[in-house]
Amino acid sequence: MIFPWTSADDSSRKHPTSPRAWLLLAPLLGWLALFVVAPTLILLAVSFCQRDELGRIVWSFTTENYARLFDATYWNIFVRSVGYAALTTLLCLVGGYPVAWFIARQTEPARSRWLLLVMIPFWASFLVRTFAWITILKSEGLLNGLLQSLRLISVPAELLYTPGAVVVGLVYTYLPFAILPIYASVEKMDRQLLEAAADLGAHPFATFRKVILPLTRPGIMAAVLLVFVPAVGMFAISDLLGGARVPLIGNVIENQFLQARNWPFGAALGMVLLALFALTAWLGFGRKRGAVAS
Amino acid sequence: MKTFLTFALTAALTFITGCGKRGPELKLLAWSEYVPQSVIDGFTKETGIRVHYETFASNEEMLTKLLAGANRYDVIQPSEYAVEALIKAGQLAPLDAARVPNLGNLAPEFRAFAHDPGNKFSIPWMAGTVGIVVNTELVKEPVNSFADVFQEKYKGRIIGVKDSRELVSWALATLGRSCNDVTPETLAAAKPILAKWIPLVKVWDSDSPKTALLNGDVWIGVVWSGEAALLWQQNKKFRYVLPAEGAHRFIDSLAIPVNAANADGAHQFINYCLRPEVSKLISDAFPYTNPNAAARKLLSPEQLANPASYPPDSKLEIFRDIGKAAAQVDKLVTDLKNAQ
Repeated sequence: MIFPWTSADDSSRKHPTSPRAWLLLAPLLGWLALFVVAPTLILLAVSFCQRDELGRIVWSFTTENYARLFDATYWNIFVRSVGYAALTTLLCLVGGYPVAWFIARQTEPARSRWLLLVMIPFWASFLVRTFAWITILKSEGLLNGLLQSLRLISVPAELLYTPGAVVVGLVYTYLPFAILPIYASVEKMDRQLLEAAADLGAHPFATFRKVILPLTRPGIMAAVLLVFVPAVGMFAISDLLGGARVPLIGNVIENQFLQARNWPFGAALGMVLLALFALTAWLGFGRKRGAVAS
Repeated sequence: MKTFLTFALTAALTFITGCGKRGPELKLLAWSEYVPQSVIDGFTKETGIRVHYETFASNEEMLTKLLAGANRYDVIQPSEYAVEALIKAGQLAPLDAARVPNLGNLAPEFRAFAHDPGNKFSIPWMAGTVGIVVNTELVKEPVNSFADVFQEKYKGRIIGVKDSRELVSWALATLGRSCNDVTPETLAAAKPILAKWIPLVKVWDSDSPKTALLNGDVWIGVVWSGEAALLWQQNKKFRYVLPAEGAHRFIDSLAIPVNAANADGAHQFINYCLRPEVSKLISDAFPYTNPNAAARKLLSPEQLANPASYPPDSKLEIFRDIGKAAAQVDKLVTDLKNAQ
């Protein structure tokens, strides 16, 4: 349930929840109530409030924060953010799947080593790693220097502060989140099924499409959620690598809290984002589980 | 299990040692890259008061942290319009002038601001301007005004600070209006100018605009004078000018919130920072305009000749509090950045 990618057939095992199970779950449920449910309810309440001159919250009811959402600017920014996140997710899947497949087919000790390599970037702060990209992409940077010394280009290419730089930063940041869940589901897959498919005359491509893909689907869906959801809300990368030129929804929300001092509107934007995530999760897991049960 | 034990032990040790270090403390909420460590260390050495330095990157962020109420601060560092808003809202404690004898070191022109006449609530820390910095190696034509900066031929070579109110104030200057004349009408008049300017800009960065200029990614920009002063120190090819259309200055100040836990320590800290030799340390690290006349006497001729730190005298406005209009300014800039 918590790790839906670990096994494809979780939903078929149904046990009535015993009191002992509830006891074991209590710390998790308490954590969720305190740090997820309560803040979300506060955010919901604030999104219907007004503010004073200094930006402090005034507890009187209004729907104007939600009415403002229908402004074309914000729609536009929402669509752009979803577009960036979708492209990032796609690239992470295309790049991450072969890596995950490769790692899962190694021997046990080799697997651990490869997984360690995937996780090493987390040892350094996310911001430090993003600043490193500035050093690589800037006009007198490492990449331009390399390309120029190879005589592939004569003048420095415009790499930093472009939409391309933002996508590179996003893919770089979230790639491990795609590899790990896909790896988990590839590793669990029964190899004999592949042999069976081959014995029955399936082409490698047909095997991939009809056997491998459906069996690793939970891992893929988990990867989609783990990449898409944080990528939609990301604001630091578009500031640092994109030069803050084109706003994403994360930047707009950050602005409401820190610049415009309009917490209620920021909260309303946050609620819409939350609804979008819930929808993604429902499309990814909820609906499929319903289909399996029926 | 072993990992868990290690973690628990570390946590317990941190807790114990944290409790062990008793003693007076001062919670300072200040701009990032603005209070030298040497000043903090010197203050702690002399008074035994430990300083917690928490940072912010804009006045609005400071207001958010201060008013959220999760933390109480003893000394804050708002700019002039934030000082004004905080005074209006009754959020600043009046300063006890008797406990700040070094107040007399301030130059007279820094003691008579409309937002806080007579320094009842705030003491100027550093002043600065927002102006044009040009890499004269890459830009050969003279650049003296916003009109010179925002030209089609510099498209993709311009940097601006990421601050909506700043940006709008440049357009207002071009229109010959005051930077405080923020109304729906003046914003509508500024809109077409900004719509032309915004697509020309390559980077918006308030934290460290000098970086993109040093990296060679941009050639020309509208930035904080302190950043321009640091660029000039590194390489004289970076020239700083105040825009011909009109410029404004900012006055970053120290003030004590009304709910400060250690108001006594706060007064001591403010008085300490006003000492000429301490104030000089601040100028050495962050070359803005030092309002401390006694400290200026200690600066080197090179420091005083830095055109970004001490621009030629001209009539400079300061920002006043514009209240809820800040949200309209933000909306306008978001619209235009989205539309390009």
